[in-house]
Amino acid sequence: MITLDPAILSRVAKPGRYTGNEWNSIIKDPSQVGITVALALPDVYEVGMSNLGLKILYQIINNRPDAAAERVYAPWVDMEAEMRRYHIPLFTLESKRPVQHCDIIGFSLQYELSYSNVLNMLDLSGIPLLAADREDKFPLVIGGGPCAFNPEPVAAFFDCFVIGEGEEVMEEVIETAADWKKAGKAGGRTALLKQLAGLKGIYVPSLYSVSYAADGTAAKAAVNCPEAKPVIAKRVIRDLNQVEFATRPVVPYLDIVHDRIMLELFRGCTRGCRFCQAGVIYRPVRERRPEILLQLAQELVDSTGYNEMSLTSLSSADYSCLHQLVQALIERFKEQGVSVSLPSLRIDSFSVQLAQEVQQVRKSGLTFAPEAGTQRLRDVINKGVTEENLMTAVGAAFGAGWSAVKLYFMIGLPTETDEDIEGIAALAYRVLDLYKTVKGRRGAKVTVSVSSFVPKPHTPFQWFGQNSPAELERKQQLLKSRLRDRNISFNWHDTRTSLLEGVFARGDRSLSQVILAAWQHGAKFDGWSEHFKSDVWLEAFRSAGLDPYFYAGRERKPDEIFPWEHITCGVDKTYLQEEYQRALAGAATGDCRRDDCRGCGVCPGLGVEVLDWGEQANG
Amino acid sequence: MAKLRVKITKGEEVRYISHLDYAGAIERAIRRANLPAAYSAGFNPHMKLSFASALGLGVTSEGEYMDVEFTAAVDPVMARNKLNDSLPPGIFVKQSGYVDDRSPALMAVVNLAEYRILAPLAAGTEFCDVQASLRRFHSADEVNYIRESPKKKREIDLKQFLVQDIAAAAAGEAVRLSMAIKITPTGSVKAGEVLAALVAQFDLPVVQDSALIHRVGLYIANETVRSLPLP
Repeated sequence: MITLDPAILSRVAKPGRYTGNEWNSIIKDPSQVGITVALALPDVYEVGMSNLGLKILYQIINNRPDAAAERVYAPWVDMEAEMRRYHIPLFTLESKRPVQHCDIIGFSLQYELSYSNVLNMLDLSGIPLLAADREDKFPLVIGGGPCAFNPEPVAAFFDCFVIGEGEEVMEEVIETAADWKKAGKAGGRTALLKQLAGLKGIYVPSLYSVSYAADGTAAKAAVNCPEAKPVIAKRVIRDLNQVEFATRPVVPYLDIVHDRIMLELFRGCTRGCRFCQAGVIYRPVRERRPEILLQLAQELVDSTGYNEMSLTSLSSADYSCLHQLVQALIERFKEQGVSVSLPSLRIDSFSVQLAQEVQQVRKSGLTFAPEAGTQRLRDVINKGVTEENLMTAVGAAFGAGWSAVKLYFMIGLPTETDEDIEGIAALAYRVLDLYKTVKGRRGAKVTVSVSSFVPKPHTPFQWFGQNSPAELERKQQLLKSRLRDRNISFNWHDTRTSLLEGVFARGDRSLSQVILAAWQHGAKFDGWSEHFKSDVWLEAFRSAGLDPYFYAGRERKPDEIFPWEHITCGVDKTYLQEEYQRALAGAATGDCRRDDCRGCGVCPGLGVEVLDWGEQANG
Repeated sequence: MAKLRVKITKGEEVRYISHLDYAGAIERAIRRANLPAAYSAGFNPHMKLSFASALGLGVTSEGEYMDVEFTAAVDPVMARNKLNDSLPPGIFVKQSGYVDDRSPALMAVVNLAEYRILAPLAAGTEFCDVQASLRRFHSADEVNYIRESPKKKREIDLKQFLVQDIAAAAAGEAVRLSMAIKITPTGSVKAGEVLAALVAQFDLPVVQDSALIHRVGLYIANETVRSLPLP
């Protein structure tokens, strides 16, 4: 057990990040369980603690008497300096043991810019960075989360990846590892990896050989042993009502990013926005029954004491029984001072009545995501909302007493012109004017938040050549010059980090050496603008002889083989290509739950169906 | 309405959380305990909690006080037990009892805090060096400490807050200091600030970063008597 010197804790910011002992944390004696798992998120505590997937896995693993799940996050730079200075290895928050002594370390990969932190955490743990260098005594290093749908850029650092939803497969991994350990680690690490490769949804990168075409593309991954499957299909939970949810999450002392109850209404989204990776990789829509949600909500309130509950999903207003659920939740928890919030409301399904209902206890701002400034471009991305939808919703909100709205947009989308950028400004001004029409006076506050579009694998835009940082900056400046009103505030993202995100999103195995080199030269916390070192990354690309443009900026040919081709989320590549062509033609595709099925391939391919309880109730 | 006053601890397990986070942790425990907490009206209703004095990050205590308002008077022992079942490790209710609804706020009556500091001796120094340093501190007419906040700098005379001389005792390789600090309507000082001044201005030979600060208790004091906010 590692005891931290008070002198160290008194020198670092927010020492509560490292001291554990939070409510609902489960501290087991590691010597009394067969397998210990360090659940890691390669970012700071406040970000790591907000991840719902890890909360679920924490509960599922700790429910097993033979296993212990502990948490570990990236120490902030001040703490890292102290740890390196005093030779303190990375330790878990529960038993305060070195991560190196765990049997498994599982990283949740939410964001490409956290890759350098993965290396940093492995290094702080004293675990060899390259999977190939790890002897039997080292923990099994597993990756999961959305980035695992193209794990190739970090393939060299992981022993295996979990593709898709982890509730069931993590238990299988634990059982496999426990048996192997009990059998005296028979056959060594290779034997374990081959057994894991036999599990559905597990990808062991070392069992695949990648070959490249002369032009650097066509990274074909061929199996190099019989245990490996040519294509790894994602794991998917058939019925969310049948699996454990995080009803007893660890309640932090510090104010974390999402410091509230997260009640997951459903997984998946059937809207089909063409930029959205989550909308593809989490298909199909599977709703939880409203009565189960009410029960989970009660358990969560009782076990956490939080005064706020967020109804989470990719598009919560699409939950078929939303209205009755929200009313029931508010009614039940009003007395206990618990408020209910809906973080993502679509403009078209937004109802002011609903917004007013959820704000009975606590009032917050309103956020809308038109994503693009013109109808033409919204059709290209298949956002499926119109300016009229936005104006109706915002107008009703203004009428009901709101005066501040936040509007989210993306720039750098396929087919985008300067007219589309100017359309963002025009929309912001129209919202300001609408306030005057509704209220008879000025006084609205509009926040325009613009992120840079990064094409992601497994989406219709995976063929698209990402805008260069220079082009994105030009567009930001153009928009800035059009937004000259003190009632409009404008936020935008660093374009250089978007480039890196784009490279790793669609990159291949050769990028592992770039990540390694950048980390060796000090790259970490790349998603934090104050720590992002653009020059270090560019130098790492140069020294590896690789061009970031090749991965991010290049428009792919329709028949190009992608580095992630051997990993499938069940959606057919031909469907994605069709969707890309429809996008370029400005043709909309309807919601597959309410309109025609366009044959993306998920339901028959994975044997999982859309679960919509409202529809079932209505016959 | 019923105002329950509780005496609570802040133990080793929660040493490194801020006062605000400590209050938040207790608020959540009250909700978990399903006690009839009263909420303020308005857009952002909050639980009606008030503390005697904020305790800084890094400081433990065995005698903090808090008032919590209930919509109904539940049995105070039952409330204490339910709370203790719901509080995280390191926070413990030692005593509980109702006070008059209109009784003055804890913050208005508590005016004295007693601290104990355990600090390792600096390498190559001895307990007599500590005594010498304290003698010089005690004979100074005033000791000015500059408190810096992100917004401003303020000079404070520490000695006007100290009710008696700081006592020192040797504790192996460490020294144990005891002090009592006044809490006035216009402010107070932290034990850590007194320690910082001792080290910086009077060469107190201890490892300041490694010092463990503990609040022994909070009192209502006048010239002659010290009493507790909760009998």
